[in-house]
Amino acid sequence: MAARVLQQCVRSLARPSLRLCSGTLAVRAVAARTAAPHRPLSFAADSRRTRWLVQSQISSVGVSCRQYGDLPPLSLETIKDRVMYVLKLYDKINPEKLQTSSHFMKDLGLDSLDQVEIIMAMEDEFGFEIPDAEAEKLMTPAEIVQYIADKKDVYE
Amino acid sequence: MANPLRSEVIRLYKNLLYLGREYPKGGDYVRDRLRAAFTKNKWVQDPEQIKQMIARGEFLAKELEALYYLRKYRAMKKRYYEE
Repeated sequence: MAARVLQQCVRSLARPSLRLCSGTLAVRAVAARTAAPHRPLSFAADSRRTRWLVQSQISSVGVSCRQYGDLPPLSLETIKDRVMYVLKLYDKINPEKLQTSSHFMKDLGLDSLDQVEIIMAMEDEFGFEIPDAEAEKLMTPAEIVQYIADKKDVYE
Repeated sequence: MANPLRSEVIRLYKNLLYLGREYPKGGDYVRDRLRAAFTKNKWVQDPEQIKQMIARGEFLAKELEALYYLRKYRAMKKRYYEE
């Protein structure tokens, strides 16, 4: 009997301890669950607080970042760089001889057909059409730069 | 330089170059051929003859357009009908 009583006592002691253990686990799980929803809420609250700041940052940054198809504003310097870059890529022009003032036919030894091709390359580069009557007069890189600057309303 | 047909010739050259970009053998091939054809007749002085050549070039441009039209039509037919 005494042994049985002892066993029961031990079991009853052991079971509550198990229950307690499982209870603590459950409590932990519940605590975690309750804590988990709290985090998003707190994040939401934080984001609400910071949203104004973030938005203001985005709006200030977005103006300079999102240009869609738009290119940075043209200046005489950038037009000149792009014109010279296109000319250097043209296979019949020797890049070492090329100056802004060099005449396509007299200095670079090109013919009128080459000049037409150069004008076509410029049309592709700057995205607008140059009429034939005007294109015939453009004989140096400097003239092309000047013409494009006039058409694109770039001064200085 | 003051030849009134000069601008016509240049316009034709430009037009053919634009059309030639779509050519199956590539734009460079067309450009080389065009350049050879134009430089071959560089020294022709007779206005009548030049006009004839321009007419021939315009005919060629129309042929190219027809070729592209046919190509497009064939591509579409291939996609819609299985045969």
